[in-house]
Formats: sequence, structure tokens, C-alpha cells
Amino acid sequence: MRLLLVEDELDIQRFLKTSLAEAGYQVEAAADGKTAERLAIDSQFDVLIVDLGLPDQDGISLILKLRQLGVRAPVLILSARRSVDDRVRGLEQGGDDYLTKPFALAELLARLRNLTKRNSPSSAEATRLRVLDLEMDLLRREAIRSGQLLQLTPQEFVLLEYLCRNAGRVVTRSMILDQVWGMRIQPDTNVVDVHIYRLRGKVDGPGQQPMIRTLRGVGYVLKDR
Amino acid sequence: MFSKTAKPVMHSAAWRISLWATLAFACGTMLVFVFLHRFVADDIQRRSDAWLSGEVEVLGDVAERTPKDALYDRVVGEVAELAGKEVPNKLLSESSSNDSVFFLQTGSDGSRQLWVGAGDGEPTLKAIQTAKIVSDHPTDLHVQGFGVPFRVASIRLDDGSYIYLGLSERDELRVLRSLRLRFFLLWLLIVLFGFGIVFYTTQRMLSHVRRIGEAASRIGHSDLTARVPITQKHDEISDLALTLNHMLDRIESSMHQLHTITDSLAHDLRSPLTAIRGKLEMSLSAVMQVEQAEPIVSSIEELDRLTDFLNKSLDVAEAKADALRLSRGALDLDELLRIMIDLYEPSMSEKGLQISLQSSCPLTIDADAALIHRMIANLFDNELKHLPPACSVTIRLSVEDDAASLILDDDGPGFDIEVLQHLFERRVKGKDSNGHGLGLAFIDAVARAHGGTVIASNRESGGARITVALPLASKQGSQSPVPAI
Repeated sequence: MRLLLVEDELDIQRFLKTSLAEAGYQVEAAADGKTAERLAIDSQFDVLIVDLGLPDQDGISLILKLRQLGVRAPVLILSARRSVDDRVRGLEQGGDDYLTKPFALAELLARLRNLTKRNSPSSAEATRLRVLDLEMDLLRREAIRSGQLLQLTPQEFVLLEYLCRNAGRVVTRSMILDQVWGMRIQPDTNVVDVHIYRLRGKVDGPGQQPMIRTLRGVGYVLKDR
Repeated sequence: MFSKTAKPVMHSAAWRISLWATLAFACGTMLVFVFLHRFVADDIQRRSDAWLSGEVEVLGDVAERTPKDALYDRVVGEVAELAGKEVPNKLLSESSSNDSVFFLQTGSDGSRQLWVGAGDGEPTLKAIQTAKIVSDHPTDLHVQGFGVPFRVASIRLDDGSYIYLGLSERDELRVLRSLRLRFFLLWLLIVLFGFGIVFYTTQRMLSHVRRIGEAASRIGHSDLTARVPITQKHDEISDLALTLNHMLDRIESSMHQLHTITDSLAHDLRSPLTAIRGKLEMSLSAVMQVEQAEPIVSSIEELDRLTDFLNKSLDVAEAKADALRLSRGALDLDELLRIMIDLYEPSMSEKGLQISLQSSCPLTIDADAALIHRMIANLFDNELKHLPPACSVTIRLSVEDDAASLILDDDGPGFDIEVLQHLFERRVKGKDSNGHGLGLAFIDAVARAHGGTVIASNRESGGARITVALPLASKQGSQSPVPAI
């Protein structure tokens, strides 16, 4: 998967390049709008990461120009600005998603995955999810582990569903808050941890292989291996 | 033009101004008339006095020269009657008998010798005797049986008899009365017309001032780009509008300046934070042992706290200057609170806290969803951090005076008295608080930016109460509802 990274801060560009390469992307990097335009015309990209604060032009106008030049790839906007107007504007004017700096790598990767998935013809929506010996029936709202029905609240079901859909990948607290509760907030308290702790108590029964792993400082993983 | 005011026209400044102006004008014209009236009355009197004096002299002459024979009465009487027909100011002569003039001759003993006039002259004689008219100058005489006084001139003949010539003031008064009536009608017309003109012009002028005021109040902190309307005329009102617009230019530019500063500050701090966080994450993924991971993990957590602090500081700074940028949409507070409680309930019950919501129906406000989310999360975080175990939190959502009222009660220890006074200032926090002291300042900032208020108090029954009031969405708002999540 080819990715164009437009970011003028060399420090950020460097670590993003490394991490994205590790995640399996072929990364081309540009430090300004001019280079980005040239690269985008010369070759085809599957997804773009564009920082809003570029030295030679506004990130938004770059995206608009690229769209005019026929670049159809989805764009993840990185913004260090704080006003919400910019985000809305960014979304409206052709950018597909945004992420404010600083961000967790896991969240960046998850959003990139979403963008590329959104753009590819998706298969019919699955009604059953299966991770190891955990099975979820999305229609009947039931979760079964090792043949045993789990007594989950509706909220816990949604949380587990989200973990299952991202099985094997790291999800951060803010991703969980955004996807499960629909809020982009940063609580000072461990509200998400308590939800995970409770869910773990129901999913990982005594004597069973623990499935929900905590990665401190990063987030959580539902193990799929 | 007159219809836009919601309040009755009697309460408008234009009404008051026209009322006072008209009053002054009416008093002035009335004063002028009083002088005019007096002048006219004096002139009429002087003329009739001159006629009386001249006529009485002629009559005296005739009486003296006419021999005192049988024809005396007829001759003098006819001359007197003739004189009575040339009365000045005579307007109406509908009565056949001439009762506006009388002629009386008395002997030296005061007895009546000759009477020409209406009636037998008895009352007139009596009145003259009691008034004792002697002077040559005409004087007023009230005669019994006549409503209006007579003006009487007299002359003494050589034989000691007196001749009196009386002229009723009736006609004179009638002239004056008709003058007064005409003036009054004219005056009324002028005053009403003047009132109309003054009212119209002031109303016109003030309606422009009102439009400026309305425009200025519309230009809240959300829409600083609008300007008040300016008329083509170069008068005080357009000066006012110009001054106001210059002021708005300055406010807009300083607001813009503030936004530029906070934006660049955010940018300059967030970029290195992003780089640091990325590097920490990369080194964390490279680390195998748990002991080595610990400092990296805590660094990342510290970094996230620092980021949150930065965001809140800048928000509070902007909000203190009424410059917080909002992207508003319809937001259901009831739904939002239910989701928030769903999110926080496990943590609360883990700590032994109870939380309950008293809300009956959806309550839509027009607000920036992201900011309101963070504000309510802050309120809940506060309770979670500061309440001792086994306490309960009650949230009540209701509508009061066109505002959504969110009351958060707890039965904990309440606020410190010395902290309560400046709870919403930056960096104020309780003794045992381990937060950065921005929480309540942020809550206040968000409420203010939405045109609402936050009040913190201690309940009489113990515990703290935070009351947040946020304006309701206007009913005719055209925005389509955005889900709370």
C-alpha cells in the first residue's frame, strides 16, 4: 500500500516513516506542498497524510489542488491547530478524516486503515465475528466464549465488538471513547480502564487464556493468536 | 418604520422628545397669544373710549344748544339714537331694540331727565348713582339685569345736569371671544402638526440608532465580521456608526491577534510533543522487559497530561477574552448525559459512588458538541476525583427561564469556603486536589462561550452543588439536529 506523507517537521516525518514502514506501508515523504504536488502527479498513492501547517502553503489548499489534479486517494489530515473550524473545513473540503497532534501511533494506523477500507469495495457486512474461541452474533447480540454465553450489558457488547473488529491490533483509550461512546474527550480519570477491567472479568474466565491485553501507555489488544 | 419596536410607542424616546418639544412650543405660542390678546383688547377699548368721549361731547353740545322747550326731548333723543347706530365694533344687531347703547341725562339733583335706550333706565340710573361717575374719562359700569358691563362716558353741562353715554362691552367681548376661539383652533392644529413632525423625525433618527444598537448586539463574539449599517448623511448618527465600526475593527483585529497567538503557540508546542510521543512509542515497542518499559510508559502518560493541560489552558485563555471559537449544532443534553453516565458509572461504583440522573425529556441546546462533551467529562472527573467513597451524585436536568439548567449535587464534604470565592479562576484548586486547577475554570469558560453561567455553592444539607445554565436552541433554528455522540 503506497502512502504519501506530507509533513514539514523532520522529527515527526522521520518517526512516522519508520512506524508506517513497519506497519507495511510504502512511504514517500514530502516536506512542503510543491514536492507533494510533484510526487502525487508522478505516481499513484492509495492514501495521503497531510499536515495542515506547511511552510509554503496551507494544507487545505494543497488537498484542494491535488483533488483538482485528479488525486482520488483518501486523505488523513494532521492538525496542530486548535480551532474546530479547521477540522470541519478540512472534512468538508475533501479531506476524509483528521487527527490532532499529538496522537498515538495506534490511532493513526487505525484511521489509515479505516480510510483505505472505506475507499475499497467492502464485502457484505458480517453478522458474526469470531476471534479464537470467542464468537459474537451481532444480530442476536450474543457473545459466546468456549461455548459459554457471556452476560454482557449492551455497552459491554459494543465495546467487545469494537475490540473484535480490531483483533490483534492496538486500540487506544481515545479510540475507544471515539468509537464506542462517540466522544473525542480526554478524561483525567481511568474511566475506560474500568470498563475494560469489567469486560475482562466476563470474557476471560478463570482458567481461560486471557484475551484482552493491556499495553501500558499505549492501549489494549484483543489477542487473536 | 414604527412597527419594529416591541415595546409600546409611549415608552419610546421619540415619544418623550416630541412630547417635551410640543409642550415647550405650545407654552411659547400661548404666551405670544396672551400678549396679542391684551394688545387687541386694549386697542378695541381705546377706540370705543375715543368714540364715547367724542360722542358724549357732541351730545352735550347739542343738549346745551337745544332750547329747553317741548321739542328738547325729541331733538336730543333723536341725536342720541342716531349716535347709537354708529356704534364701533358692532357685529350683530339681531335684536331690534338697541340695548347696546344708552343715553341718560340727569338733573343737577341726580334725577332722570331724559332716557334713550332699552327699558326705563331705572337700573342704569341706580347704578350710576351708586358708582358716582364724575370723571371725564370713560369707566366701566355694572348695571343690574345686564350680563356684560357698560362703558360709560359722562359730561357735565353748564346747567349742572349730567349727560351719560353708555356703550355695552358685549360686542367688544364678542370680538375677543371669536378671536380666542379662532386662535385656539389654529393653535391646536399647529401643535398637533408640530408634534407629528417632531415625532416623525425623531422616530426616524432614533430608529437608525436602534438599528445600530440591534446590529451591534447581533455582533456577538461569534460574528465579529459584521458591521453596523452606515447612512449616506454625514450627521451624528452616522458618526456613531462609524465610531462603532472602527471599534469593531480594532476588537476584531485584536481577537484575530489572540487567535493567531494561541494557534501558533499550540502549533509550536504540539509539534515537538508529537515528535517526542512518537519516539517514545517507538522505543516502547522495541523494549522487551517490563522494567525498562515503565519509565517510557509513565513519560507517555505525563506527555498526554501535558497535552490536555495545554489544550485546556488555551481554551480558558481564549474564553476569558470571550474569543473561544465555536462550531455550533443542535445537541441533546439529555442523551449526552445518559451516555456520559454510562461511561462514568463503572468507575464511580468501583469507588463506591452512586450516580443518578433526573431528566424527563430531550433537551436540545445549540452548542459546540466537542466543548460540551469535554465540559461534562470535566464535571464528572471532578466528582470522581474529589468525592470520598459512599457518596452519591445527583444530576438534574430541567428548563428554567429559556435555559437548560443542569444541577449537579453531591453529598460529599463540599467546597472549601476560602476556595469557593474564586473557584472559577485559573489554578485554584482544593488542598487535596492533584489536578492542574483548570477544571472548573474550563467549565466556566465553556459555559460563558455559549452565553451560559456556572454557579458553584455548598448545599445547606451538606455537599457541593454546581449549577450550569446553557441557553436553549431557538425554536425556529434551521439547523438539522446532530446526534449527541
